Amino acid sequence: MRSGFLPDRIVHLHPTRLCNLACRHCYSESSPQRAAALDPVVVGDALARLRDEGYAVVSLSGGEPLLYRSLRAVVERAKELGFRVTMVSNGLLAERADSVLSLVDAVAISFDGLAGSHNEIRGRADAFERACAAVRRLAAVGRPVGAAISLTRAAIPELPDLADHLTGLGARALQIRPVARAGRARELGEATFYRPADLARLYLVSLALEQELPNVRVHCDVVPTETLWQHREAYASLLGACDGLPIHERRLSDLVNPLVVTDTGVLKPISYDFNRRFDIASLEELSSDGVRRYKKHGALEFQTLVGRTVASLQNRGDFIDWFDYCTRYSEAVGAPVSLVRA
Amino acid sequence: MHTTTASPVTTRLSQRLANFKLGDAVIASLAERVAIDGLAIGRINPCIYGICVDYFSDRLPRLDTLTAKRGVSKWEVFPYGIIDWDRFHVRVAFNVDELEGRGLAREFGH
Repeated sequence: MRSGFLPDRIVHLHPTRLCNLACRHCYSESSPQRAAALDPVVVGDALARLRDEGYAVVSLSGGEPLLYRSLRAVVERAKELGFRVTMVSNGLLAERADSVLSLVDAVAISFDGLAGSHNEIRGRADAFERACAAVRRLAAVGRPVGAAISLTRAAIPELPDLADHLTGLGARALQIRPVARAGRARELGEATFYRPADLARLYLVSLALEQELPNVRVHCDVVPTETLWQHREAYASLLGACDGLPIHERRLSDLVNPLVVTDTGVLKPISYDFNRRFDIASLEELSSDGVRRYKKHGALEFQTLVGRTVASLQNRGDFIDWFDYCTRYSEAVGAPVSLVRA
Repeated sequence: MHTTTASPVTTRLSQRLANFKLGDAVIASLAERVAIDGLAIGRINPCIYGICVDYFSDRLPRLDTLTAKRGVSKWEVFPYGIIDWDRFHVRVAFNVDELEGRGLAREFGH
C-alpha cells in the first residue's frame, strides 16, 4: 500500500551538514564550518529499526554526503538491511569516491541552472564544470546517474538547455523543483521565489521535456492540486482505516513518508525544516519507546495536519510542490512544542 | 476550426514555455486549459492544433467538463478495451495561438 504521494517509503538521511560549498539557497544551511556528524553505529541501529517500520529507501544528502567520514559504513549497513540507497551530491568530490559511489543504487548530482546561475548560487567559479564532469564520469562507468535540479524563478528559462546538456552527458533522470523558501534561501530576494503562474510554467516545461527527452525520466515536484486531490487515497494509510488497525499499531512508514533524519539526530516528517512541533523522536529514542510514544500522541496531531492539508487541495485549481506546501502549512500551526526529549 | 502549422511549435515546446516572453496570463490560461477534472495528464505534445494532451483515467471521462474547456479543437476517447477494461485514454487538442506566435510575433521574432 502506498504511503503518501511518494512511490517508495523513504528515509532522507542527513548525516552531516559539513559541505565544501555554502550555497546561497541551501535549505539546511550546510557549510564548511558545520563539523558535527552522526555516529555511524547509532545510525546503523536506527536504520535497522526503520527497516522494521517499513521503510525501503535511504536517500543520503547533507551537507555533502561524500564528506561524511562514515559514509561507507552507513551505506554498507543500509544495503545489508535491504534498503535501496540513493545519494544527492554536489559532484565536486566524485572523482575521489568511486568505491563508495559504486555501492549506492543511484546518484543525483545537484544543479541550479546553467553555468552562470549555478556558479553564482554555489559561490564557486568551477562548480558547474565539476558537477558536469561528475555526471559524465558516473555515466561513463555505467552508474545510474541523474540530476537534482532546483531552480530560482529567474533560472526557469535555462531549464531546457540544462536538461539537454545533462542528458548529453549521460544523466538518465531529472528531478526538477523550485527553490524552497527555507534555510539560507530565506535571505534571497523575493524575485527568487515563484508566483502561481511560475509554478504552472515549471510544470508545463517539465511535461514538454518529458516528451522531448524520451529516454530520460523527468520528474517535477510541482503538480496540479487537482491531480493530488484525485490521488488523495494515497494518504489512506495515515488518514483512513489501515487494515482496521488503530494508528498506534501501524508501522511508522504508514504514517510518515518521507521521514527525515537530521544531522542532530532528530526524526522529522516530510522535510528538513518542518515545524519542530511535529518532531517524531531522536535517533537514540528509536531503540526505546520513542516511536511507540509518537504513534500514541504525536502522530495524531500530524494526522490532523495532513488531513487539513489534503482537504485544502479541493477546488484550488493551481499548482504546488506538495512537500513544500505541507511544510509551509505546518508553520502556520502554533509554536513549536517538541516531543523530542532534551 | 483553426489549425496551426507544426513547424514553429515543434521547434522546442519546452523553450517556448520556459521563456518569460510567454506572459503569466498565457501560462495560467494554458495551465487552466490542460487541467481537466478527473483526468491525469500523461503527455503533452505539439500538434497541428497547438498542443495535444493525452490524459488517462480509470473512470469513464466526464465529457461535459471536457467540452466546457476553452480552446478545445478536438477530443478523442480511446477505451483500452480488452487490454484494460477500466482504463481510458483521452486525447484533447487545444488551440494555443500564443505558442504559434499569433499576437506575439514581434516577441518571438517571427
